[in-house]
Amino acid sequence: MSGQYHRSHSRAWFLERPGYIRFMIRELTSFFVAAYLVVLILTLGRAAAGEAALAEWLQALSGTGWMVAHGVALVMAVWHAVTWFKAVPQAMPIFIGEKKLDAPVAAVLMGYGPWLTVTAGVVWWAVR
Amino acid sequence: MSDSKTITLELFRYHPETDSEPRFQSYEVPYDEDWVVLDAINWIKDYVDGSVTHRWSCRMGVCGSCGMMVNGEPKLTCAAFLKSYYPFPVRVEPLVNFPVERDLVVDMDGFMEKLRDVKPYIIRDDVNDTSQGEYRQSPAELAQYKQYSMCINCMLCYSACPVVGHEEEFLGPAALALGHRYNKDSRDRGKSERMEVMLSNEAMWGCTFVGECSVVCPKHVDPAGAIQQAKAMGAQEYFKRFVMPRGAGTKGAGASRGAGA
Amino acid sequence: MSGAARGGGKGGRPARPSSEAFWWALFSAGGVMAALFVPAFILTTGFLLPSSDAMAAAGGAGKVAAAVGWWPVRVAIFGIVALSLFHCAHRIRHTLMDLGLRRAGGVLKVLCYGGAAAGCVWLGAVLARV
Ligand code: SF4
Ligand code: FES
Repeated sequence: MSGQYHRSHSRAWFLERPGYIRFMIRELTSFFVAAYLVVLILTLGRAAAGEAALAEWLQALSGTGWMVAHGVALVMAVWHAVTWFKAVPQAMPIFIGEKKLDAPVAAVLMGYGPWLTVTAGVVWWAVR
Repeated sequence: MSDSKTITLELFRYHPETDSEPRFQSYEVPYDEDWVVLDAINWIKDYVDGSVTHRWSCRMGVCGSCGMMVNGEPKLTCAAFLKSYYPFPVRVEPLVNFPVERDLVVDMDGFMEKLRDVKPYIIRDDVNDTSQGEYRQSPAELAQYKQYSMCINCMLCYSACPVVGHEEEFLGPAALALGHRYNKDSRDRGKSERMEVMLSNEAMWGCTFVGECSVVCPKHVDPAGAIQQAKAMGAQEYFKRFVMPRGAGTKGAGASRGAGA
Repeated sequence: MSGAARGGGKGGRPARPSSEAFWWALFSAGGVMAALFVPAFILTTGFLLPSSDAMAAAGGAGKVAAAVGWWPVRVAIFGIVALSLFHCAHRIRHTLMDLGLRRAGGVLKVLCYGGAAAGCVWLGAVLARV
């Protein structure tokens, strides 16, 4: 309709609300997770190439640059996990009769609990 | 009332027959702690400028017609107290993501079409046949969708959603939550019909779970949660259609019925 | 309200649901995997293994390689990493669309999911040799 006024969105809409900024940070985690996964496949490739190759690669990974990179990736991956576990009770509510399980309880049951178990398991498996 | 306190309201003004561009007009309004933004706009219309155009009805947060942007935030103006802004000016604009009809009034036709698209009513073939008794629903079955039935169609969530602003096909928070409300209703048999619409390209999948719709919703509907559940339901439906022919005996048949007497 | 009048009785050709449902399912499963496993993986391959003390404790690189070589571990790693890759691909694609590349949606789809698929092939080849 010609008489109507249409407001167009700013290109920088993602700065308009704090919630949008939080959203963008959450989405950005996927970029860092993907980058880490590539490094992980490289690491597996070195493991496939033999003991010496893996040892040499791990030696390189102990450098400061790689440590910082992994530190950033870890923060982002943890943030992905935290935001994911926050969403789980919203996306998969559990009902006990007519009562919905409280979000924090559901987050621990379906998120943080399994997370701690898995993390402890993987770390134990790696350093055992 | 020159000695009493006042507060400034800056209203978005746009009259299509005279204005090519919108403008803001400032009004000094007597400040009353108990007043909401809507009271101030009504005062302006009654005592200063009768040409100000806005929508409202119930003044108690149930009709959903008074939604506007208040200092950039989508709000029910009948629930936004002046005292949370005083002494600073309050800027009132029409809801974003909607075409502006006039001043603070937006065109909600697109929204109404989206609501209609999700078939927001109970669908079943045996609806006229009540001889076997009523359709019973347990409190647990009611709890499955009750939250999503609290929507007052205020459209605040549409103003909070960036995807609504960028993707025309997207049905938007309230419509999807309402579709989900009926999909979760134990009396309903129309899920596959509704899914027909919801599963199409960007209708539902355009949602990236920004989540601000649930933040601004005055009725705690949590449309963001409803949409994620609907996506999970839709994915199930999608994989099921590979296995089974479409709509195989879901409607009407096998409906649970109260035993009557 | 009869069945035919409801508009559901369009009959004939069933509307094909979009493949978005499929990608979303991968995204969702991958999101769970990434949340549960990736922090632990980073901790392990980024910090524990490269630090020499832990390496000594693990009995050297050879033992690590041997442990990864056990086939259930390989299958698990493949599943976790492959799904996580598709999670990332989906999220990156939708974020870029939200950022204004909506009209390049088709290209993004090929690039993102294609990239994830390529990563899966690479991963599979690597794991087959471990
Ligand atoms: S879901 Fe909430 S914000 Fe959206 S229209 Fe309904 S009541 Fe308003
Ligand atoms: S006037 Fe009815 S909700 Fe505000």
